[in-house]
Amino acid sequence: MSDEKDAAAPGSGGRREFLWKVGLGAGVAALAGQTVASLRSLVPNVSYDAPTTVKIGPPQEFPDGLKFLPDERLFVFRDGKSFHAVSAVCTHLGCTVRAEALPRAETKTIDGVPLRLTHRFHCPCHGSKYTGDGSNVSGPAPRPLAWYQLSLAPDDGQLVVDLAKEVGHDFRFTLA
Amino acid sequence: MKLTLPFRSDEPSAPGVHPKPLWSWSPKSDREAGDAVVSNFALHWFPAKVFKPSLDWNYSFWLGTASAALLLLLTLSGLPLLLLYIPSVERAYGSVKDIEYVVTFGKWIRAVHRIGAHLMVAVVFLHLVRVFLTGAYKNGSGRGQKREWNWVIGVVMFLLTLFLSFTGYLLPWDQLAYWAITVGTNIASSIPAVGPTIRWLLLGGREIDQATLLRFYVLHCFFLPVGLGVLFAYHMWRIRKDGGLARADREALLAEKRETPAGPTKTYTLLGVARGQAPAIRAASLEAPDVSVNAVNDLVRRIAIVVLGTIAVVGMLAVFVPSPLEEPANALITPNPAKAPWYFLWLQEIVTITTVRIGKFTINGAFLGGVILPGILVFLATFWPWLDRSGAAGAGVWFPADRKKQNTVFLAICLVIVVLTVVGTFMRGPYWHFYWPWQSWPEIPSRI
Repeated sequence: MSDEKDAAAPGSGGRREFLWKVGLGAGVAALAGQTVASLRSLVPNVSYDAPTTVKIGPPQEFPDGLKFLPDERLFVFRDGKSFHAVSAVCTHLGCTVRAEALPRAETKTIDGVPLRLTHRFHCPCHGSKYTGDGSNVSGPAPRPLAWYQLSLAPDDGQLVVDLAKEVGHDFRFTLA
Repeated sequence: MKLTLPFRSDEPSAPGVHPKPLWSWSPKSDREAGDAVVSNFALHWFPAKVFKPSLDWNYSFWLGTASAALLLLLTLSGLPLLLLYIPSVERAYGSVKDIEYVVTFGKWIRAVHRIGAHLMVAVVFLHLVRVFLTGAYKNGSGRGQKREWNWVIGVVMFLLTLFLSFTGYLLPWDQLAYWAITVGTNIASSIPAVGPTIRWLLLGGREIDQATLLRFYVLHCFFLPVGLGVLFAYHMWRIRKDGGLARADREALLAEKRETPAGPTKTYTLLGVARGQAPAIRAASLEAPDVSVNAVNDLVRRIAIVVLGTIAVVGMLAVFVPSPLEEPANALITPNPAKAPWYFLWLQEIVTITTVRIGKFTINGAFLGGVILPGILVFLATFWPWLDRSGAAGAGVWFPADRKKQNTVFLAICLVIVVLTVVGTFMRGPYWHFYWPWQSWPEIPSRI
């Protein structure tokens, strides 16, 4: 038994100290495990959010000019057979911008393609302003409004917007 | 036959123990006053003696005590709300509407909770301003003082108070709530690289939905109040460890030492006693009997006045100031203008004007004004005690010459914040355009 007393001396690495370290380690590991598990459980594994690819209706139902889709927070513009979609989410802090009709529509060449501008956009939260193609012209907005890709659904011929796919300002979806 | 219970015995149970716990709320002697602190649970966290000038109304304005009273009132008024509110995106708005219009006294309880919260933001801020201006985070003569750490705890408690208010006004799930979360979490999202992930974790998904409401609800009702409660207890304990308010340090350090008759409860060295026939000790005036008073009941009475007075004021204000409830949360329409509550309007002003363009490179105002600038302010505030070089004369007194420069800069920053708050509150109309208060806002259709 006198050996055991020597083994208990600190730093001697004896059996008692070894067991003490195992016990402490087990306790700390258990606590750390609980903490990690608790925090990890708060990171969502499944998204119940709305899908990013959305059918927004048959193209013939869109009027010439602008239609606002509140659920997608999206402006869809139509000029004859050509369509494009501009996001209504302000690039500054995510409020929904409002469209204001211009007194007179004008046509400008943007990214090499002519575009008929009928509206401009204002943000109610911090006063950002955008031109009809979504370019930020004043206020705190750091970027132009996003343009999203439009296509036709192969099954029922509805317009489909892909809210995860940004496109350039020269993008047009043209009906055949 | 006389029945004697052990605790009623006049005989001391051990040498040096008082035979009878003689104490009262209005003690007749110093001993009764001291015994009160030892015998009574509610009083045990007070010192036996308090430095009298520390109790002056016009030194601390009792803002810390008022903050604690508001925390107590908010905890109590939150309990019935906890039983009446339903944290579900479908039912939250309806349950708050019921509290407002159906539940007996519901309107008043909600108003008490809301006004208490608004006042707490203001009072905690004023407390911080008072501590800064009087340099009360500076250590004096005491051993083991860590006043600078109590200041840091205080800054954290101020931030917790703001975050509690933020999470609180999200719960009604009305338009104010929805767009506040939108803007608030997008500020987090503007941090380069990690921002979008932080927003995703805060929301519990890509969009503001049930997971978001539950996260903010649990933060508001559990984690933040418990955190604030723990820090509050530590804040109080540190004040005791640091020897009371900084004003007492000032007295101990700077005041002339003077002849003080030896009290019967003090033990002095043989040398000190042997020098004169009647022992008189040269001591800091802190030791003099005329500058310190018993905590029971000079301190207790003042605390009772402040706590009960605060509760009474909030209770009366709540009768006259109704709590607003905007339209139900609507992801489709942003109110115009969409305003944060008053204590965040200075930030809303700042994120509006801090988008910076350098050539083709743009820094979002959300990041510069919403993260970097407040971050710098909090960082400076936290570490100021280590940057402050004013001397001992700059602590424990209002407007000391020693702190003129830093107090001026501090007040200038406070003034800018107040001015921006006033501009945001009264001078911003639709599309965040500037209007003087006497100018009318243009008619703008509420729907697109």
